[in-house]
Amino acid sequence: MSLKNIKTKIQSVRKTSTVTRAMEAVSAVKMRKSQERALTARPYARAALRMLGSVMGSFNAENHPLTRERKEGKVAILLITSDKGLAGSLNSSVLRKTEQFIVEENLLPEELLFICLGRRGHEFALRNGFEVMRHHVNISDGIDEDQFSLITDEVVRLQESGKTREVRIAYTDFRSTFEQEAAVHKILPISLKIMEHIIASITPERGKYSEERQGNGAVAAYTIEPDADEVLAALIPKLTNVAVFHKLLESKASEHSARMVAMKNATDKARDMVKELTRTFNRVRQAAITREVSEITSGIESMR
Amino acid sequence: MSTFHLIIASVGETRFEGPAISATFPGSAGEFTVLAHHEPFVTTLKKGVITVRRDDGTKKYSIENGVLECSNNRTVVLL
Repeated sequence: MSLKNIKTKIQSVRKTSTVTRAMEAVSAVKMRKSQERALTARPYARAALRMLGSVMGSFNAENHPLTRERKEGKVAILLITSDKGLAGSLNSSVLRKTEQFIVEENLLPEELLFICLGRRGHEFALRNGFEVMRHHVNISDGIDEDQFSLITDEVVRLQESGKTREVRIAYTDFRSTFEQEAAVHKILPISLKIMEHIIASITPERGKYSEERQGNGAVAAYTIEPDADEVLAALIPKLTNVAVFHKLLESKASEHSARMVAMKNATDKARDMVKELTRTFNRVRQAAITREVSEITSGIESMR
Repeated sequence: MSTFHLIIASVGETRFEGPAISATFPGSAGEFTVLAHHEPFVTTLKKGVITVRRDDGTKKYSIENGVLECSNNRTVVLL
């Protein structure tokens, strides 16, 4: 390789590393924001769970379309992925998990219904010829509730109308900055067990907010007005809302941290490459000088 | 004045959190007011205005619907 080529290459690698470093910093900030947002939903979810627990006793799950177990109907999958790449194996592991779920449950393509949040998931569903009921791209990190309710209302409507027998959510569980895990969870028909799982997952196991993990406290005997059915009818869509909202935020936090780590690796790799290339550059330069010197000296020798 | 802890929250944000002397809610079975040490209570709310009274004055929040829970001198409203 010529000197000039190596020089250009060093420059381009350097430029790339500036970009990746900037992306790393941006992702770090976004990640923190998403994490904080995910935590604001927690007191809400806890209170909702407590209420559910208090009225569940006097309530028959068969009475409400969102809690009733059904045999007929499709399986809706709410697929949460990112819009953009450069985030390591984040999206591919969600998609792999989804495929695995479909195989395990022996679901036929016509039994499935996809709602895709994020471009990657949408592309996946189209590629595999699944029915996509709706897809949303460019969901901002600071998604507000009104926008978001549109999505959950749709899911709730699907289940209420009996078009689906269950709703699953495929997303990325945020464990820590370096650890994310793709998962497929059932969110409807909703049960106490599902809610408890959501609450437990709302508090991270480790890190900044993990010390806030605490019990729910004993549930007192409540006076319920007007009656349990009415309260549940109001409560269950809210629970679904908080469940999906939280999964979305969690996926967002995962996306940003995965990207941050991927970009950090890229920056480190670029630094190594620059080092390596500089070394080659010096060696080639040295060789060229030696060659020139020996040419000159041999020229002088021959002139004598 | 004795107070109780009041939280008014929607999924995305907490609208109010702190001690309150009393709060009036548009319950689906009629308007009612919660004071400190209210009995354990769960109800649904309809469209209307929540009036919160504190030491430093009153605050009003308009809501579309909601669910309210009272226990252990704490009231939580989910919008």
